[in-house]
Amino acid sequence: MSSGLQSVRHARASRKPQPVESVAGARMQTVGVAMIVLGIIAFVLALTSGRAAIAWEAYLVNLLFFLGVAQGAVVASASFYLTQAKWGGSTVYRLGEAFAPFLWVGFFLFFGLYFGRTLIFPWVTHPIAQKAAWLNVPFLFTRDAFALGVMAAASFAFIRVSRGEEARAWTIATDDIQLPPHSIRVLAPLVAILFAVVYTLIAFDLVMSLAPVWRSTLFGWYFFAGAFWSALCLLALTAAVLRGRLGEDNLFTNPVVLHDCGKMVFAFSVFWIYLMFAQYIVIWYGDLPVETFFIVQRVHHMPWSPLSVACLVLIWVIPFVVLMSVRTKKSPIILGTVSALGLVGIWLERYVLVVPSLSLDAIPFGPTQFLITIGFLGAFLICSVPGLNRVAQAATSGEPVGDDEE
Amino acid sequence: MSRIAIISSFAEEVQCAHAIEELRAAQVTDFKSFSPIPSHRIEHAIGRTKSPVRWIVLAGGISGVLTGLAITIGTTYEWNLNAGGKPLLSWPPFIVICFELMILLGGIFGFFGVLGLSGVPTTESQPGYNGRFGEDRFGIVIRCDETEAERLESLMKESGAEEVEREDEAQHS
Repeated sequence: MSSGLQSVRHARASRKPQPVESVAGARMQTVGVAMIVLGIIAFVLALTSGRAAIAWEAYLVNLLFFLGVAQGAVVASASFYLTQAKWGGSTVYRLGEAFAPFLWVGFFLFFGLYFGRTLIFPWVTHPIAQKAAWLNVPFLFTRDAFALGVMAAASFAFIRVSRGEEARAWTIATDDIQLPPHSIRVLAPLVAILFAVVYTLIAFDLVMSLAPVWRSTLFGWYFFAGAFWSALCLLALTAAVLRGRLGEDNLFTNPVVLHDCGKMVFAFSVFWIYLMFAQYIVIWYGDLPVETFFIVQRVHHMPWSPLSVACLVLIWVIPFVVLMSVRTKKSPIILGTVSALGLVGIWLERYVLVVPSLSLDAIPFGPTQFLITIGFLGAFLICSVPGLNRVAQAATSGEPVGDDEE
Repeated sequence: MSRIAIISSFAEEVQCAHAIEELRAAQVTDFKSFSPIPSHRIEHAIGRTKSPVRWIVLAGGISGVLTGLAITIGTTYEWNLNAGGKPLLSWPPFIVICFELMILLGGIFGFFGVLGLSGVPTTESQPGYNGRFGEDRFGIVIRCDETEAERLESLMKESGAEEVEREDEAQHS
């Protein structure tokens, strides 16, 4: 470490920016509550007016999407520890943990599916004899609730340690040789591995079982890689938005940080298309009707094929082409837009995975589904208020970040 | 008027980078720098634009894809096998071949591109090169006219050079 670099760091620390207390507060909460109320009204209206099926479809799609984003973000923070990331100080860790409170909301909303089970799961009304040992209501709800509960508990245990002083000191230490604190070295891999196991289970139980004869062993991996990528998009989007809202000298004004966010959005978008293609080509080669129908009705048949193409464009084509250059990754407007489109793309992808299994011939999307989505978004926003304020505090505390150079 | 080489050595990367910035500010362009380590700091100071090796890799990648298409489409037409009633030219398996060949040829082109552009392997050392520039010192070799030598030498010393030597170009040629 040269003395010059250290003097640069001192210079940065000495022009310490004014700490920002809050970026998200009462106004965001009011808006969030209004959104939740709208969502509940739409949901109840749909249930009482004989459109219960579409209401439950929208409920399931949004549950999968928002739970995946919130959990993926915690896993992102855990994976920063696993890779000993110091490119964003403690701020990027707080950023990953900011959305975690939704995990408990999602855990309780999961039980709501019990009341819509006859409309959501085809095998409840038409049981499949060979698969009854796995696909039955008591077992499915017990194991998934247990899995989600353990996942949320592990996530919060991890966050508790990660927000502690010891872990924080490690994230901003410029000495690269130290390992993270011991409890982090236990909890971070645990969260990452649990994520893979639990979200594979969720993918099999809540998505694949909607078309109970279909199977793909890679589907779980594909599902949670998508959830993880959507979380990375949310981190990049939040970073790009906060950059302009935290005053002059916050961490996100450092182009290196946005560059790193952009690199991750780019890389895991490629990972997503890799997993998608790996599944596609195996099913294409095997050419077994029991496997191909799932893809054929989504990719080749109207009205779903334009939506599938849109997913491909939003999740892979746009991030790959746009974020290839360094300059676009460093631009908050471009990176933010690509990430926002990516979030829309993953939502759409969840929609295309779930809904054609339940209503094949038409795209059921109207005000009801839109308002239910708004309701979920409202709950997600309210849950992230305290976390975002922690991010704001960390980003404006003027702490040093790993390395200025590229 | 004879050409002069001014050889300065620096103990610190930062000083060397600073000296390069001073040189560029003084409109001097005919210089070379030596570093015992790969240094981004010095690269930034030189203000070098991005290496053209990227275009060589792109050319390699594109020729890889074209080779892949030629192999897959060519062999398919050569053998004309109907596999499971699928169309003769089916793109999903072709993607794999094209992708792999893109990586392979891109990598090979990149490897030889780097060698070619950086002029290695070579048996002759650069004029003004000092063995310590491969060990623990950073060096700058400026080529200039005799009239400018005085000014540049003092510029180097002000920027923190440990040693500044002067050599007549004639000795090397």
